[in-house]
Amino acid sequence: MNANDRKILVVGGGMSGLTAALEAAESGAQVIIAEKEPYLGGRVAQLHRYFPKLCPPTCGLEINFRRIRENPNITFYTMAEVTQVSGSAGNFDVTVTVRPRYVNDRCVACDACAQACPAWRSNDFNYGLDKTKAIYLPYDMAFPQKYVIDASACQEDCGQKCAEACQYDAIDLNMQPQTLNFQVGSIILAGGWDLYDISKVDYLGFGTVKNVITNMQMERLAASNGPTGGKILRPSDNQPPKKVAFVQCAGSRDENHLPYCSYICCMASLKQATYLREQDPEAEIYIFYIDLRTPGRYEQFMWKVRDDEGVKLIRGKVAKVEQEPGTDNVTVTAEDTLGGGKIKMTFDMVVLAVGMVPSTKAKPFPLPLSYTPEGFIIPELLPEGIVAVGTLKNPLDVMKSNEDATGAALKSLISLSRR
Amino acid sequence: MADEILIKPDLQFVKRIMAAGGQDAKKCYQCDTCSVVCNLSPETSPFPRKEMLQAQWGLKEVVKSPDIWLCHQCSDCTVYCPRGAKPGEVLAVLRQMCIEEYAFPPMLARMVGDYRFLPLLIALPVVLLLLALKITGRLAIPEGDIVFSKMFPWYTIDIIFLGAAGFALFVFAQGVRRYWKDLNTSPWKVRLKGSLISHLIPTLVDIIKHDRFKKCETTFARSINHLMVFFGFVFLGLVTAWAFLKEWVFHQPGPYFIFSPIKLLAMVGTALLLYGIYQIIVARQANADKAGYGTYFDWQLIYVIVAVGVTGLGSWLFRLLGIKILAYPTYFLHLASVFFLFFYAPYTKLAHLVYRTVAMLYARMADRGF
Repeated sequence: MNANDRKILVVGGGMSGLTAALEAAESGAQVIIAEKEPYLGGRVAQLHRYFPKLCPPTCGLEINFRRIRENPNITFYTMAEVTQVSGSAGNFDVTVTVRPRYVNDRCVACDACAQACPAWRSNDFNYGLDKTKAIYLPYDMAFPQKYVIDASACQEDCGQKCAEACQYDAIDLNMQPQTLNFQVGSIILAGGWDLYDISKVDYLGFGTVKNVITNMQMERLAASNGPTGGKILRPSDNQPPKKVAFVQCAGSRDENHLPYCSYICCMASLKQATYLREQDPEAEIYIFYIDLRTPGRYEQFMWKVRDDEGVKLIRGKVAKVEQEPGTDNVTVTAEDTLGGGKIKMTFDMVVLAVGMVPSTKAKPFPLPLSYTPEGFIIPELLPEGIVAVGTLKNPLDVMKSNEDATGAALKSLISLSRR
Repeated sequence: MADEILIKPDLQFVKRIMAAGGQDAKKCYQCDTCSVVCNLSPETSPFPRKEMLQAQWGLKEVVKSPDIWLCHQCSDCTVYCPRGAKPGEVLAVLRQMCIEEYAFPPMLARMVGDYRFLPLLIALPVVLLLLALKITGRLAIPEGDIVFSKMFPWYTIDIIFLGAAGFALFVFAQGVRRYWKDLNTSPWKVRLKGSLISHLIPTLVDIIKHDRFKKCETTFARSINHLMVFFGFVFLGLVTAWAFLKEWVFHQPGPYFIFSPIKLLAMVGTALLLYGIYQIIVARQANADKAGYGTYFDWQLIYVIVAVGVTGLGSWLFRLLGIKILAYPTYFLHLASVFFLFFYAPYTKLAHLVYRTVAMLYARMADRGF
């Protein structure tokens, strides 16, 4: 027995990481969460609603944040990345680098700094659909409820303006990167996923054709704390789209891009069809698919959306997306493989059902782990004492990631008790 | 049920497709990316997605489909195929099978498509030409100035080559007759509009200009390379016809003055042919990753054209240089390779010039994307 035998490091503070951390901490372990973003909640915080129940994810996140606040066994760091790991099960020596937030704990989120700030930055939380000031609150319910300065957007003396505006002495422009060292007995990897860079699929027009958006951008457009306040408006002219196409398998199931099914995109598009139909009973939705994959009980959700007369499901992959000449509308071409014939149809907006990439693809964990050719972690080959969760191993939905996170907490605890 | 269709899968057919270069056909999951990215595919019943299904299922009738000939193997489909099923290559195999289907006798077509029979196929013109030399008593290298008619007098050339061409034309005529009949029966039967002749002319103009071929993106250069080889053959064909006329009508046999128009045309034709085929080889190797390296069927024709061009050029050069010992044997090989090209035309990839023309004519009359 040593001092580390009850300590767990959770890498990633998204839904899976939070769940794993809470379950382990509530079972008595000491848990440290390292999250690279300035807020906890990860991708789930960006979602408008969950499928299939169509409830907002905020309530679940709020409950988790409260559990964290109330649990003395959990310490968390935001803007923190694991940069070095050595040792083995029972005795991992971990280095965590924390980027400076330039805002300390005295921040009350009054927004005076942002109002004074002269510089703007693209809002990555909203996938670039709008801008924030260089000092910003990541989103309205962000936890911790603290502003953060994007140093790359804050040039020269721009920082002074907000420092002067702050009445609470919460802005510290001299904050330096911190390097922290921890000894832990076990590590839970919960780094989650990134959206595939869909501009690589040149024929889908993302980034070149106006009003072609990703499914995650659609979540932000529909969310009440999103760039349009929850009213779905197309980016080019802020008009509500009347006719929308969903392009399934955007990057997924394609050996030139993602040679696997991303699992959630069919359900996500069906769900997003309900957002549009709810906001505009006249809206026409076309979902172009290769196979509609709604595994298990999700099938019933598919039936429900399919039976909506405003939703048309077309079996055929969209392989051409172009701007309609002279307008901001988008023309897509597919073949209706059931009816025969090419379809060339014009829409107000096109949503690409973009697939997911494990976050370790862009940034591998600083330990030699075994990955599949697609970049997913092979759980069976993980070193003793390290457990991976959810979308690092497979594309997965929130519910199953959560269940997996509970399993990961248990595996981690078991590995501690073996010492 | 409005229409009942009995599906009769032919598993041997699927195996043959896979063996002949379409080994990835079964990877296709029918997403239709190919049909959409193809610039040549028509709006109604586009290809090649449906052909991929027919190939996977062993629906043999697909080799009779005119659509397989509307494809110029741009390989845009192969590049974008999410499964690596290589539709471009599968359609190429189907075209080879179409040539086989309409060639008579089918046995000879099978032999041409199989590399093991290549020595036998080459042996035929060699033996035939040696036999001609033996009969006319000219097996030795002739004395004096190099004049190829000392080796093969014009009448032997005409007998052998008019015979070979006549045979090929006869086989083609049979094939086209059967193909046209099949095109106009179920399941492709559609109402054709206009007369044959009124559509044949614009079809030929399209072919001469390679208008459709130029719509290729991935392998755009192929259309230009092909155009060079095409005009190389056209010019050399004109030269041959001219020489034939001079000999039979005006009684002025060759060799001709080096700067005479006929000779200049021959030089331009040879240059186009050789440069075009060289570029085709280079492009095929450069594009092998994206578009596939090609099959034996493809390379057989390429090398026969190379042989015709190189031996033609060689016999001319050796004659000018006065190297008898090389000039006469090279000329012999030239005749052998030209014979190969002509005689086996209905069975090799060269047959595409006939079947593609027929299919394009049919597609134009059936209003499919022209």
